[in-house]
Amino acid sequence: MPEGPLYGIRVFDLTIAMVGPWCAMQLGAMGADVVHVEAKEAVRGGVPPSINGTSIGYITWNMNKRGIQFDLKSQDDRADAYEVLKTSDVFLMNMRPDVAARLGVDYESVSKLNPGIVYVAVTGWGQAGPLSSLPGADGQIQHYTGFGSSSGVEGTEEGEIYRHFTQMDATTGNYACQAILMGLLARKKTGKGQRIDVSMIRATSALQTGRMTEYLQSKQVPKPLGHKSQAVAPSQAFMCHDARYLGVEATSEAEWRGLCAAIDKPELATDARFATNSERVEHRNELSAILEPVFAAMPLDYWMLELKKQDVPHGRPMRWDELRNHQQVLDNQYLIDIETKSWGTVRTGGPVWHFSETPARWFRTPELGEHAEEIMRDVRADLAKAGTPAAAGGKQ
Amino acid sequence: MPGPLDGYRVVELSEGVAGPYAAMELGDAGADVLKIEKLQGDRARGWGSKATGDLGASFLGMNRNKRSVALDLDSAEGVAVAKKLLEGADVVIADAAWTAHPDLQPEALTKSNPGLVHVHISEYGEHGPMANRAPYGELSAQLASEATTSLGVIGEAPVRMAVDVAQMFTGIYAVQAICAALYARDTRGGQRIDLSLFGTMVAMRSTLWVALANPDEWWGFHLDSYVKPQDYGYQCKDGRIYFSLARPTQEQRDDLYREFNMEWVRQDPLFDLVNTDTAGGTARYSHVCKPVWERAFKELPRQQVIEAIRKTGGWAFEKNNYEELVNSEQAQFIGLIDTRDHPGVGSVSTVAIPWEFADTPASIRRPAPRLGEHADEVLGAAGFSASDISGLRSKGVLATV
Repeated sequence: MPEGPLYGIRVFDLTIAMVGPWCAMQLGAMGADVVHVEAKEAVRGGVPPSINGTSIGYITWNMNKRGIQFDLKSQDDRADAYEVLKTSDVFLMNMRPDVAARLGVDYESVSKLNPGIVYVAVTGWGQAGPLSSLPGADGQIQHYTGFGSSSGVEGTEEGEIYRHFTQMDATTGNYACQAILMGLLARKKTGKGQRIDVSMIRATSALQTGRMTEYLQSKQVPKPLGHKSQAVAPSQAFMCHDARYLGVEATSEAEWRGLCAAIDKPELATDARFATNSERVEHRNELSAILEPVFAAMPLDYWMLELKKQDVPHGRPMRWDELRNHQQVLDNQYLIDIETKSWGTVRTGGPVWHFSETPARWFRTPELGEHAEEIMRDVRADLAKAGTPAAAGGKQ
Repeated sequence: MPGPLDGYRVVELSEGVAGPYAAMELGDAGADVLKIEKLQGDRARGWGSKATGDLGASFLGMNRNKRSVALDLDSAEGVAVAKKLLEGADVVIADAAWTAHPDLQPEALTKSNPGLVHVHISEYGEHGPMANRAPYGELSAQLASEATTSLGVIGEAPVRMAVDVAQMFTGIYAVQAICAALYARDTRGGQRIDLSLFGTMVAMRSTLWVALANPDEWWGFHLDSYVKPQDYGYQCKDGRIYFSLARPTQEQRDDLYREFNMEWVRQDPLFDLVNTDTAGGTARYSHVCKPVWERAFKELPRQQVIEAIRKTGGWAFEKNNYEELVNSEQAQFIGLIDTRDHPGVGSVSTVAIPWEFADTPASIRRPAPRLGEHADEVLGAAGFSASDISGLRSKGVLATV
């Protein structure tokens, strides 16, 4: 089996909760040796639901890593941690700005040990500013950055919060992962590591670039539109004759003409009210009133066939019981089963990127401190081989 | 100092959000990005409110740091020009909106450029019965991944996330894959990378899949998202807030009750509910307790409520809309929004770059291009003479700017 694209990279993963662990998990999937460093009193449980006393979140977000525990406040453990740092290419941490210095892993200390290290600090609100000392997590960030202001049932004045609290955390972790990879690419040219800062407020605002840029130009605060798109029309769900919903979208003029053909209403394609996307957005409700009874007249499967024939984007809601065994999911390995030591078999999402030459991998979350001995053995062998810390840091 | 991807050449052959956003991120990081468009332009130019002419407002936010060339890709000459422009590219980002011409398929391009990293974005993935479905839809991916079950009213019409998350998540992952493949290229050569909106959405909900598969407790944080009512935050006199207490002590709770004249809850059967786990939006019974808290908050300005909760050790923040976010002290302080002049449009604001590199800073060097704006300079650099270029224009192969 060929190795992933980050084969040979070591990550010092000093992370807790979701943002940092999720980020490092992606690096591990791409072949990096991720050393998940946890405190001696590490907490793995407490946030339900859980399996065998460990929170689901912890199990999900710490795959593709090796585990070790350090008490960074003790001299002995810090010395060991510094050895790991000397052989690491990446340092990742998601704690509040003042914690790093207290643990002896601030940028100055770490880069002195290893000038080649790509040092990434993830915070909630940035390194400075009135909120910088406050905690940041998914719920807070969703509320603060307006993610919960633009979605919701049509007609309601106020947007609602997305109730599955992981998307903001994962998004920030994903942007941090980009930054790390870019830092590694820069190091190929400069031969040096650097400090990189990523914050949840910046990352989740970037996620909302489309809606937010529309607001910034128009100064119109978006109102919830239910299943309808803010920017494209038609792009909404229709109830079909069998009382099932179908999402239908015409994102280009060709797709709009295709839709008119699929529903056998060629006159709509030449109707001035619907001549361009801007016109259709403007007359969204009129258009919707015309289309609703059309879709309500025939069952969902009929429309799936007609829309597919005309290359019009469409899709229907699926639920877990269907999704988990869906042929499309299985054929692309979007869900995979992972055998764990303490939590049985868990089914989780697989690697998102499918590389033709450097395939990604996915493996189980380690037990607490499971790989302490083997990690220190590998680190000392690397140090003996490399000679100097700088050489170890710049080994790629 | 230039950005981390300075020196890399990226050609984007995609439309909408996912591919263009990925290409823009690479541009922000310093790469030279060429956007090849069909004569009618990226469909997203027509999306949402317009800044002016062919520049949709959201398009401005997704396409900075790029140059645009618009070609008739149904003609042999247009395909030949595109092929020429693709020579020497390090990265190609393609999606289903791209032309089916065999000369411009990533596989064909790799033959003459074996180091090429080519990314293909689809709706449902490269394998399986739904592979090769038509140009993708955002709503389809949100519905198919059951992401719409965490908004709206249970049993009623689905509610989408207004942000095009499926495309954005995919674009973000595409950037990871591209950087990783470039990193490995020295030793492993170029390669193809496939991503899909559907696959990305499934992966982004992994926590829920693990929770659904085999938990010991059928409730909590992730599973609650199915069964809880809509959450608009906690209403105060002049706005809404979010608050929570991470595993509050009895003392913290007593402080809070005192602060908001709610000491009576300790004598009430509801107290047991309020007392369960964490107080605030993520607790098991938060929706049951919420009206009780809101009764206390509704006469108070939200800043006062936020400060009172923070004083007792709790976490409290405003629930903002975009206007409130942009004007907030923190956003202003960190420079969350970038504003600069766009020739012909005036002042244009977009969301600033998410990463802060200490030594190789990312940067915004040019605003989103008009359709075909850079044809002369790009074709000129690729070896086309001025008369070649005007010939292509008069034949309608190259868009007239």
